[in-house]
Formats: sequence, structure tokens, C-alpha cells
Amino acid sequence: MNELGRILLVEDDPRDVELTLTALAEHNLANEVVVTRDGKQALDYLYCRAEFAGRSNENPAVLLLDLKLPRVDGLEVLEQIKSDEHLKIMPVVVLTSSHEERDMVRSYKLGVNAYVVKPVDFHEFINAVKELGIFWALINEPPPGSMKKVK
Amino acid sequence: MYMRRYLITTKEAAVYGVRPAKLWRYVSLEAGSVRLVSIPVVALWTCGPIASAREARMELLSFGSTILRYGFSVVCVGIALGLALACRLSGFHNAEMPLFDLAVVVVTWYAGVGPSVVAVLLAGSMFNYFFTSPVYSFDVSRGDLPYFFLFAVWSIIAAGFVGVRRRIEYELRQTRDRLQVEIDLSLHRESEILRLNQELSARAKDLEASNKELESFSYSVSHDLRAPLRHVVGFSELLQKQASSLLDEKSRWYMQTILESAKRMGNLIDDLLSFSRIGQIETKKTLVNVEQLVNEVVADVEQEARGRDIVWKVEALPTCYGDRSMLRQVILNLVSNAVKFTSMRTRTEIEIGCTDVNQNEVEIFVRDNGAGFDMQYVHKLFGVFQRLHLPEQFEGTGIGLAIVQRIVLRHGGRVRAEGAPDKGATFYFSLPKAQDTPTRIASTP
Repeated sequence: MNELGRILLVEDDPRDVELTLTALAEHNLANEVVVTRDGKQALDYLYCRAEFAGRSNENPAVLLLDLKLPRVDGLEVLEQIKSDEHLKIMPVVVLTSSHEERDMVRSYKLGVNAYVVKPVDFHEFINAVKELGIFWALINEPPPGSMKKVK
Repeated sequence: MYMRRYLITTKEAAVYGVRPAKLWRYVSLEAGSVRLVSIPVVALWTCGPIASAREARMELLSFGSTILRYGFSVVCVGIALGLALACRLSGFHNAEMPLFDLAVVVVTWYAGVGPSVVAVLLAGSMFNYFFTSPVYSFDVSRGDLPYFFLFAVWSIIAAGFVGVRRRIEYELRQTRDRLQVEIDLSLHRESEILRLNQELSARAKDLEASNKELESFSYSVSHDLRAPLRHVVGFSELLQKQASSLLDEKSRWYMQTILESAKRMGNLIDDLLSFSRIGQIETKKTLVNVEQLVNEVVADVEQEARGRDIVWKVEALPTCYGDRSMLRQVILNLVSNAVKFTSMRTRTEIEIGCTDVNQNEVEIFVRDNGAGFDMQYVHKLFGVFQRLHLPEQFEGTGIGLAIVQRIVLRHGGRVRAEGAPDKGATFYFSLPKAQDTPTRIASTP
């Protein structure tokens, strides 16, 4: 796991992780990704605690967040991030299977930067993830205090 | 000797030196005062038992038989007469008036008006016959005339008074019973209402619980069912990409089938979810210009059906009351269906119009000249995932009309369809009219 990655992916399903990484690999973004498998681990990473205690205190350029997660779910993570002075400037993209309006409304109310529903179609999925990666990791200028792209 | 006594025993008489034969005369001297005293005594005397014997009276009145009541009257007067005679024989005089009055009062109270009159007449005659001089005749001596007159008047007054009291009492009792019945009834109703309310709130709770269950069901479908499907599609695609050159024709066909089936399942899940969502979303009802909505939909559908020769005929349509986005879905589904099922026609005709059903309802229809359907299967048309054509002929999951029906039903309307194989189909849906607004608006060119 590359702890210097600029994209923090929070996803519990290993197959989704694999598909996402495959999609990002097409633009050589795969090694920029840090994967955490549940909300608790994601918060540990962001707050540099437990297994991530040694990492530098910079925020990822973007957080790709699934909503349905074991232990601490995505909306709780989002709520925690947006109520923290240091973390709330970090862009957060919800990447989920859920079409549910209430998830969408709740996410936006909590201040999410984008809400993307994972398409069932593989090509659409690959495209969606690829474009997300390109936009947030390459095109978008992250807020100060984020990790810089290592050339 | 002058003694203010009502009763003198023979022993006392002996003490006073009076012969028993003379006793009669001593007491007779006192008669005037005894008679006068008897009036209030009777009045007081009768009130006690009357008040305490209400239930018994009701029993007596309730047996209702005329013969028994008149018999009761005669028996009462007879008992009074017997007692009065016994009193006289034992030397106690002037008991007849209170006794007869008591009999009259009792009869009036317990047996009603008719027996009361009989009792008064009978008591009068007996009083006259046995107790006014000359005794044992119906003549009255001049000296006893006031006494007899007093008795007669007092009997009638007592009977009248008691009769009126009895009637009032009876009516009060009846009113009370009626009230009691009404109170019982309203208590019963109240408890019934309470019971029904409890039942209702229990049902509401059940409904809420099952709604929650349904919600979490569709939530988990949308979350969990899609993920494995995405993996099936994703990894098949990856496999296809990786090993396509190694596979023979047949294997590639299998792969293709896996992919298509998975995609189809994805569509089914999406359709099912959108169908179930209609039941959960609250309708936001406003005035909706249906004609504008139809024109919007037609413009959208036309874009997708470019290259086809479609003749649109949109009549003037009313303004209705409903949820705009839901009604748009209804019109979109019907118009898309019309376009889809006319794909084999060189020249497609689609007509959208309306008919007034009654004052409150309007029926909108979408008519096409397409494949149509057999009216034999019309009941299956609006079912979830029901299809009347083969998938090779026309694509689709079969959710469109089910959604149409669900939305229209939620708006308080109805859906129906007419058609014949290869002769086109007409789909109707009714909606409540917008009240207090012009029901029709001019059509835009």
C-alpha cells in the first residue's frame, strides 16, 4: 500500500477495488491510490492514527468514498470530515451503487463535492472512474495542505 | 266523663266505671277530632311505603292484565273494609276513613286510573253502607253527611294527586330508562370507537413497519444486488479483453451472452427500483398543463426517433391537478410505447387527445397504428414485467405500463386500453380536472 498516494479510496468490496484500480491504471493513476477498507480505517488514515500514525499530515487530493461500509459507514465518515476544520477543505466524491434519493440528499447536505453512481456497465464504470481520477487528481487544483503530485 | 282518648280497653273502662256498652259513645264524642287528625296521618302514612316500593310497583304494573288490576282494586277495598269492620268490632272506631283512603291510594298508585275509579266508587259505597248512619243502608243521615262528603272529597283528591304523581313518576322512570339505554348505547359506541381506534393504530404501525421493511429491501437491492452484477459484467469484459484471441467462436458467443444477460438484469433491477420508488415518493400536486407536457415529451421522443416518418396529432388538452414529473413519466412511457410498437410501419400515426368523462374527470388517450394487441390479454397489459410480444420483436422489460398504472392510480384515476392485433392500440388514463380553472387552454401551433 502506497501511503504517499494522493487518492484515498474507501471501498469494502475487493472486486470493486480491483475494478477501480484497473480503471485508474489506464491513466497511470493506480499507484497514486491508497485503499482503506472501511470507515474506521479511512478516519485512522486521515487522522494519522493507529497503523497510519507515521504518515505525513497532508490531506489526500481527493477522497473516493463508498457509502455502505462495515463499522463506520460512508455518511458517518463524511459527517466527521465536514465537521473537522482541517479536513473539511478536502474534496470528497461519493462513489456508490446507491441510486437512493435520500443518500444523495444527505450527502449533499453534508457538503459532498460530487456524487457518482457506479454504472453497472463495465465501460461506463471504467470511464466514470477514469474521469474522476483525471479530474480530481490531475485537473483540479487541490486545496493548500494537500499532497503534491510526485513527478 | 270526658276523656281525650282514642282507645279504652275493657279493663280501663272498668277502672273508670264505664260499661263496655257505653264505650262506643265516649269514643264517638271524639269522632270529629279523630276524623280530622286522620287526614294528615293518611298522607304521611302513604308516602313511606310508596317511596320504598317502586320496584314492586313496576312489577305490578308490568303484569298489565286488566282483570288482575281491577281484581287488585276490589281486593284492596275489601281488605280495607275487613280491617275497618275488625277495628269497629274490637272497639276502635273511625279507622274506616284512613283505611279506605289507603286502599284508594294504593290502588291508584299500583293499578292505574280505571281500577282507581272503581276503588273510589267501591270504597264510597262501602263507607256509606257500613259506616254512616243509618248503618247497613245506602242512605246518609243529615248528621253524617259532612263526614261522608269529607270522605268522598278526600278520596277523590288523594286519588287524583296520587294518579298525577304516578304518571309523572312513570314518565320520569321511562325517560330515565330511555336515557339509561342511550347512555349504555353511547358507552358501547365509545368503547367500540376506542377499540377500532386501537385496531387502526395497530394497523398503522404494522403498515409503517412493512413500509420500512420494503424501503430497506429496495435500499439493499439498490446497494447490494448491483455490486455483484457489476463484477460479473466487469470481469467478463476484462476476460474478453484478455483472452478474446484465445477463444473460439462458440466461447466468444457464450461470453457475449453472459454480458448481455448481466446487463439485462441490471436494467430489470433499475426498472424494479424505479417502480417501487413511485410508491414511496410523496406526490407534489400542482396544476399541470398537460398539453405543454405532451409537447415537451413529443419533442424529446422525436429527437430519438429521427429518420422515422411519424405524423403527430396533438389535440387541445386540459390543465390537470397532479405531480408534474410523475405525469411526465406517464406520458413519456405511453408515447415511447407508441413509437416503439409502430417501428415496422413505414408511416406512423400517433394521436394524443382527450375526452370529458364527467365534470370532475378527464380522460387522456394515446393512439397509434402499430402492432396492437389481442383484447383477450388486456388484463395482463399493466402488470409488472408482463409482455405481450417476444423480446426479438420489441425490446423492453415490461415495466412501462405498470409504472403508468401505478402513477395514475396514485392520482385517483384509472387506466384502460383498447386494441386489436396489427390494428394499433389506444391507451387511456383518467385524471381529476383542475377545479376553478379553465379546463381547456388554447393549443399552441
